[in-house]
Amino acid sequence: MQLISAQNISYSINEKKLFHNLSFNVNTGEGLYIKGSNGSGKSTLLRIILGITLPSKGKIHFCNEDLAISYLGHKNAIKSYLSPIQNLELIFNQSGRALAFEWLHKLGLKNVQDELTGNLSFGQQKKLALIRVLASSPKMIVLDEPFVGLDYATNNLLNNFLEEKLREDMSIIFTSHIQPTFECKTLEIER
Amino acid sequence: MLRLIRTESFKLSRKLKSWLGPQLILVLVLIAFPLSIDISQYDLDKFYFSIIVISLMMTAFISTEGMFEEDFEDGSLEQEFLLEQDFYKIVLSKMLIYVFFIGIPIALIGSLFLITNGADFDDLPKVFSILCLSNILLFNLFSFGNALSINKGAMLGVLTSLPLALPVIILLGRAVRTIQYGEGFFSIIILMSGISLIVLAIMPIVISAALKTHID
Repeated sequence: MQLISAQNISYSINEKKLFHNLSFNVNTGEGLYIKGSNGSGKSTLLRIILGITLPSKGKIHFCNEDLAISYLGHKNAIKSYLSPIQNLELIFNQSGRALAFEWLHKLGLKNVQDELTGNLSFGQQKKLALIRVLASSPKMIVLDEPFVGLDYATNNLLNNFLEEKLREDMSIIFTSHIQPTFECKTLEIER
Repeated sequence: MLRLIRTESFKLSRKLKSWLGPQLILVLVLIAFPLSIDISQYDLDKFYFSIIVISLMMTAFISTEGMFEEDFEDGSLEQEFLLEQDFYKIVLSKMLIYVFFIGIPIALIGSLFLITNGADFDDLPKVFSILCLSNILLFNLFSFGNALSINKGAMLGVLTSLPLALPVIILLGRAVRTIQYGEGFFSIIILMSGISLIVLAIMPIVISAALKTHID
């Protein structure tokens, strides 16, 4: 089933074209890997898909208006003055917390769960932010450079997780400079 | 909405600097002022109210400085937009929480200081109510300024919205006179309540639009 259909998407900023006439579809259980050089507009395209940014031209059509999307962008959306546990309590309701805490343990953050998040390393903060995606069960996951800052083991874990979610009919759209290990469609943005 | 109110109150309660700081500054100013003049020469209760009004305005100004900036910087606003598709509810929740955590305590501090500096104790509820209402107006105005310039350092926008606070100060001055002369208080409190309700209903829409342009 088709979830998203993008027709002739263009985006310009200050008269400078970032990308022009991009068209693609995303179906249920399908992965879309967006690749391109730095500054080519990968993150902007993700924001356009999410409806945060409006395209200069073109249209994105969502087949289901109430599509549940989990998103992780460049900004981690975690609070540095709270502990990892408190951050997860803010993100998840009572029913989702058990799974979130489970992921906290799986990602090796148990020993720092009560420390201030601001004192954690970049990679640890990134892992914490990833739990927002890992412990939720949306219809679609949108990730902007999810592998940046992660150690080898977590990279593998994330790859396996995404592959498994694709098999469970979840759709995934992501940007990366690292080739994913699972099978998915590729959309290359050229400047 | 309840989720947002719970979230915002939890976040603000953990930021001691954000809610306790403005209250301490207000207390310091209100203590320091009588010490800096020869109080035996003045009727302090006559003009101490003006000092409270100005201090309150400055405290509201400081309190709202980081209202949206942190959520904008760390990406929480984007996440909230994905959930709710606009910012009305989050702005309204933040406003209510800020007024509850900072606005009401500073109105109480201001009222108590006025009483301890010679004003009639019977006027305490009147003073407290007009200070509370003026705080609702001031917090809304300054947070609008904050939202306007969130990506250029929120203080700049708060400064530009400072002139908007002048009508509130004029209204407060009028309210003070009604308390001092003992007549017309109820008409002014009804007027201020009406304005506060309208501002509280409309301003989050305006602030929400300003925030949307910044995350776009």
